[in-house]
Amino acid sequence: MKKHHRLNDISKNATNQLDEINLDELIPLPPPYDKTDELPAVKTLTDEQKQRLVDNLDGFSALALPQPKDKEEEKKYIKQFISGLNKLLSKQNNWTFLQPLLLSLEYCAHCQTCSDACPVYIASGKNDIYRPTYRSEIFRRLIDKYTKRGGKIMTKLKGTDIDLNWATLSRLYELAYRCNLCRRCAQTCPLALDNALIIRELRKLFSQELGWAPHELHEKGTVLQLEVGSPTGMKPAVAIDNLKFLDEDFSESLGFKIETPWDKEGADILLLHSAGDILSFPESVMAFTILCNAAGINWTLSSDGPGYDGVNYGLFYDDVQLAKIAVRHAQIAKKLKVKKIVIGECGHEHKALITVADRLLTGDLNIPRQDVMTFLEGIVFGGKIKFDLSKNNFPVTLHDPCNIVRNLGIVEPQRRILRYLCPQFREMTPHGVDNYCCGGGGGLSVISGVNFTDWKVNVSGRMKLKQILEAFADEPGPGAKKYVAAPCLNCKLQLRDIFKYYRAWEKSGIMCGGIAELIVNAMVDIKKPYINWNDV
Amino acid sequence: MAKIELAGLMLEVDEHGYMQEPDKWTEDIARAYGLKEGVTELTPDHWKALNYLRSYYLANGICPMIRRLIKETGFTLKQLYDLFPEGPANSACKWAGVPKATGCV
Repeated sequence: MKKHHRLNDISKNATNQLDEINLDELIPLPPPYDKTDELPAVKTLTDEQKQRLVDNLDGFSALALPQPKDKEEEKKYIKQFISGLNKLLSKQNNWTFLQPLLLSLEYCAHCQTCSDACPVYIASGKNDIYRPTYRSEIFRRLIDKYTKRGGKIMTKLKGTDIDLNWATLSRLYELAYRCNLCRRCAQTCPLALDNALIIRELRKLFSQELGWAPHELHEKGTVLQLEVGSPTGMKPAVAIDNLKFLDEDFSESLGFKIETPWDKEGADILLLHSAGDILSFPESVMAFTILCNAAGINWTLSSDGPGYDGVNYGLFYDDVQLAKIAVRHAQIAKKLKVKKIVIGECGHEHKALITVADRLLTGDLNIPRQDVMTFLEGIVFGGKIKFDLSKNNFPVTLHDPCNIVRNLGIVEPQRRILRYLCPQFREMTPHGVDNYCCGGGGGLSVISGVNFTDWKVNVSGRMKLKQILEAFADEPGPGAKKYVAAPCLNCKLQLRDIFKYYRAWEKSGIMCGGIAELIVNAMVDIKKPYINWNDV
Repeated sequence: MAKIELAGLMLEVDEHGYMQEPDKWTEDIARAYGLKEGVTELTPDHWKALNYLRSYYLANGICPMIRRLIKETGFTLKQLYDLFPEGPANSACKWAGVPKATGCV
């Protein structure tokens, strides 16, 4: 329900929901998705879950936070949070992001320009709790009260006093995971302040100081990756076996030998996929094998875990994990003596390895890293492969992964590929650096929490669905098969969830996949269609 | 951690109902899961898929990719969705007592 929120409401009534999402208050979708009563009911927490878990924000739980045992436990976390706040603001403990954090905290003019740029805020029908400034301002006021000298008196006098209690703490924790870290706010801010960074630092505080993080990002994410090689749980031998199976399967169906190289020492390129593609979008992984081989590239995969999985969830919530994984990736590349790492179709992997980890990868860990877009562009226009554009003669639009496009400024190479290979390519509106997040950014795509998927497909993914439908408005029905090129696994997973929820394949004939598959689909030497419209 | 009762046993499950102690699985548990989703009887086709899923998981520590499941059992994706209401990942893996897939899948 659209309430007007006072900032310190967050500290009141720990067991009541602060707000609730009403599907009719969200921005409308184009037909045939405009009738909310034709959609699956939104899952809510069961009574049993409400007993055990905290459910005091918006009716959704991304984090399955257990109810505290007693007041002692609450006090312990509050104390840890304050200790964490102090560390976050100190150079010794936060040398990584201190400067942009301080600038963003210090200079906000409260103009709310960022809110109007935020896909979650807009899609929710302008619900105050999703304003980028809502979270940041509460955070700012807690910092003023609990870390600055005379803070308690000063905030009371200024009327900016917010009590840091269990209600505030538990709600802030969930709120930290209502942001896609897409940086649309930062890009729009007239002072270039970064609300997403503030939220990401808040997540870091929770993780590094309280040990609170979504298990999908931590225990079953970075921890699992460092332990066995991949958050998917795929060990090296299983990864190799899976690729062997795929090589044989695709060789059989396409009629020529396809072989993925492993552990080739001294190769020019180490290709670093997001390993989940092996399991969920094998056409993407095989497309890279086909293209690299056809283009005569001297490349390899690595079976040295996590050398076959380029994801780095630490980017979303924890500097320690981020550093460990990034360093491992570089060490593996160095050991294999490859000339460079090429990042696969994974958005956050680009940002983690190309820029964020830059300060860690010094000396001989400073191995060149190349993005997937210029890599694929080199293959398409390199002259070694012949294409027949008529094979891609169906409507195609491009979803821009935030981390590659807005965050790294890699905008045109993928467009040159699609304009060349897809006669019916059309842009979404807006696109490029002004794109909307798929709704799965910031790690949200892999977090299912208790009923979090329903929030993602209804709220954070709403603007994107609207854009996709508008881009295909010329041929909306299921008779025309339409392809959303989404060169990022997390985006594909989120789009897959959205399309499944809204039955977009059945109602509109829309599916998603990567760019590599489109390229292979247009190859003259591949006699059968590569993109399989039937397996949706 | 949540608990549910299936086939007369109290089991630890995650918030989506997947077993957290895979070694406690029995065929009756699979039947109980099926019943919860409206499948009153597990046919030989069901068992073909469930047995393959479980044995692959026990050998490899994760669920087999869909493509493998399709090839090994001979079922199409549509047939798998006919057998298992929420599909191979959300129904079949759960009924086979295999933990929910993690990571970007």
